[in-house]
Amino acid sequence: MPTDSPSTDDGSSAFSEFLADYYIECDEHLATARRSILAIEPQLQQSSIDRSLLDELFRSFHSLKGLSAMVGFNEAEELAHQLENFLSAVRKGHVRLEVPGLETLVSGIGTLEQVIAARRDGEAVPDPSALVSSVSLLLADYAENSNTTAPTASASHSPVSLGEKEKVIAEKLRAGAKAWQVTFEPSPELVSRGIDVNFVRNKLLTLGELVHSEPLIDVAGHIVFAFVLVSNDERAPHKLQAEGLVCEAFLPRTATEILQATAVAPAAGDSESSTHLTPPNLVRVDLSRLDDLMRIVGELVLSRARLEDSFRRLNGVMPGGEMRMLQETNSAIERQLRDLREGVMRVRMVSVREVFARMRFVVRDLVRELGTQATLRFSGEDTQIDKYVVERIMDPLLHLVRNAVSHGLEPSDERIAAGKSAVGHIDLRARTTGETVIIEVEDDGRGIDAEAVLAQARARGLVAPQPAKVSDPILDVLCLPGFSTREQADRASGRGVGMDVVRTVVEEMGGMFSMETKQGQGTRFLIQLPLTLAITDALIVQVADQRFAVPQVAVREVLHSDSDRLTLMEKNELLHYHGGVIPLFRLAELFGVDGAKNDSFYTLVIGEGAQAVGLVVDRVLGLREVVVRPLTDRLVKVPGVAGATELGDGKVVLILDVSKLFRVTRQQVNSANPIVTSLAGGTSSLISQNVGAK
Amino acid sequence: MKNVLVVDDSATMRRMVMASLRSIEAVAFQEAANGLEAIERLAIGSVNLVILDLNMPDMHGMEVVAFVRKHASFHHVPIIVLTTRSDDDSRSAALAAGATLYLNKPFNPATLAAIARRLLFVDAN
Repeated sequence: MPTDSPSTDDGSSAFSEFLADYYIECDEHLATARRSILAIEPQLQQSSIDRSLLDELFRSFHSLKGLSAMVGFNEAEELAHQLENFLSAVRKGHVRLEVPGLETLVSGIGTLEQVIAARRDGEAVPDPSALVSSVSLLLADYAENSNTTAPTASASHSPVSLGEKEKVIAEKLRAGAKAWQVTFEPSPELVSRGIDVNFVRNKLLTLGELVHSEPLIDVAGHIVFAFVLVSNDERAPHKLQAEGLVCEAFLPRTATEILQATAVAPAAGDSESSTHLTPPNLVRVDLSRLDDLMRIVGELVLSRARLEDSFRRLNGVMPGGEMRMLQETNSAIERQLRDLREGVMRVRMVSVREVFARMRFVVRDLVRELGTQATLRFSGEDTQIDKYVVERIMDPLLHLVRNAVSHGLEPSDERIAAGKSAVGHIDLRARTTGETVIIEVEDDGRGIDAEAVLAQARARGLVAPQPAKVSDPILDVLCLPGFSTREQADRASGRGVGMDVVRTVVEEMGGMFSMETKQGQGTRFLIQLPLTLAITDALIVQVADQRFAVPQVAVREVLHSDSDRLTLMEKNELLHYHGGVIPLFRLAELFGVDGAKNDSFYTLVIGEGAQAVGLVVDRVLGLREVVVRPLTDRLVKVPGVAGATELGDGKVVLILDVSKLFRVTRQQVNSANPIVTSLAGGTSSLISQNVGAK
Repeated sequence: MKNVLVVDDSATMRRMVMASLRSIEAVAFQEAANGLEAIERLAIGSVNLVILDLNMPDMHGMEVVAFVRKHASFHHVPIIVLTTRSDDDSRSAALAAGATLYLNKPFNPATLAAIARRLLFVDAN
């Protein structure tokens, strides 16, 4: 009987049907590897590195190697093999992991990612030989000192010693935690109800730290699983007993006795913490299937809007009692639909942690390249964002972070001279407020010199030569296609997307991009995005006979005002607002809709602080859930319009792109600024044509 | 009907193993993603063959082999260790611990199927 598999030749073709799975799983292993590296990095200075982290990193490379071999992808297999070898030597203590080794692992993960991506996208696979040789170099000393190529197997997976675990438990007990021994005896009946060893394990992980887990055979010959849980939750045993689990107080010494007495199998499982744990019970779903689901939910929302419209017409026709019943059912459907929509949205959500982790790698590379000193700080890594948004926002964020390191932060000597710390800081923050996600990239560097930026733009003929004085023109200049202060190098190395691309991507997703800078103190870029793209809450407003939808997230406040509260300054209308004034713009004028100026009108306040403007409309018809249909026809696609939607009465309503509109209107404050041709001139004919066509 | 337990932390790898054994008649599959889960499957069901990865979180494959061989009610179940070659895992140690066979990944699906069929239907009788 053959005891080994022969060649990969037919093996590779036999498994080509699994290529899609292969790429997905590679992504997961690469993400895990990046996480492990980031957790290991701060431990380099310590006397020893957490064994479970090294094990996890080793497993990532090992899995990548095995999977790549199965699909016959030799470059990836070889690369993963080299990285695994190096880590294996580290794990055994033959090689000490120091900075050069870590750098090699980092660039190894990067190369592996590029190699796999190139294969997936059908591009030329980059040459991994430089990396392979740098790993060999790291291992050279070890190879010289040791001739044993096959060390004993037990060395690699000997369980963490009992003494070591006891020490861990004792430390936690001293810190005020409690330890519990939990036993679980599986049975077909329990398992059929979904109560299996994984369920129990996950349950324990929600209550505290799982220090130990192993299978045992009891006196009757039954298999039971024993776990040791360390928890600060006083009610942990109560919660476990409620699940039908046996739970006893656990004392380190009795632990020794129990474990020694029942030493059937070596202890399994290293100490685990939630930071490096493969998430349990995950289902992988193709994003396009979720898109389909979202589309169906969108259609449901539209159907319900039509139903709503029919109800309105039935009012007065139908007997009151029956109408009320129908209305009740209708509002129940509305609630359920909202729940459904939120449920589908939640499924699409992923945390920004992976994105942030990637930024740390970018900063590391750049810092090494440029010789500056920078630390990257995170907050809100657990913020959840739509998977699609995460993918789209990756490049813009990369650009902002690279920009912060290479342009924002000063060299150390300059920083010290300015009385700052030698090491620059970049803060990456994410948070959600209501229906919006906010991502910030802030540096404590030199800030942006507005005069220098304007001078350069003038020199390039991008803006008119006369001095412009507007509230926030620098970002507009930075975002001009073709403007760059020092970006040539980035572009040459093929990494560059310009600031113009950042703004475009953000606005295409219905978001807002803004910036604050203080000379000598730093710069903060702010990206605001809707949580989900397909369905949004919008205010339906009316101007003359036209209706528009304004995404609710963009509107700060709705004011009802009269003409006598207006101040006219030169040609601009100003409205008193919170002790100050804000410039007003009439939507009717912006879109060239004819209509008499009413004495009484509504103002939508858009934007914050000094940059707020008011958008004047005749009436606010209400708040509706709208399904955003993007305008794909280039002739119809105009700045200021994000898409179209249907309100249930069959009529199409344009959804305003408030951030673009907001920018254009703000620029009108300063008519001398010629950066963007005014929206009104560019689109009014088109809109009136559309209106006429209906 | 014979039950084959496929133990691997990689879902893709489990699917590849099961696809390789598709041609065998009268076989049902059970899956486990880690060692503890594998032991549970063995404890509550009738398993006729285990195909086992070594490098897994929670409980190393080698520990699974050792545990299985110590337990009276399933110590006879054949175990094929199917692992990616690594200088940490040795054939001799796996066989010494009680594995029936030791195969390396990448494996040839036809070879794996032939071996599995033999262990399930010929050697078992």
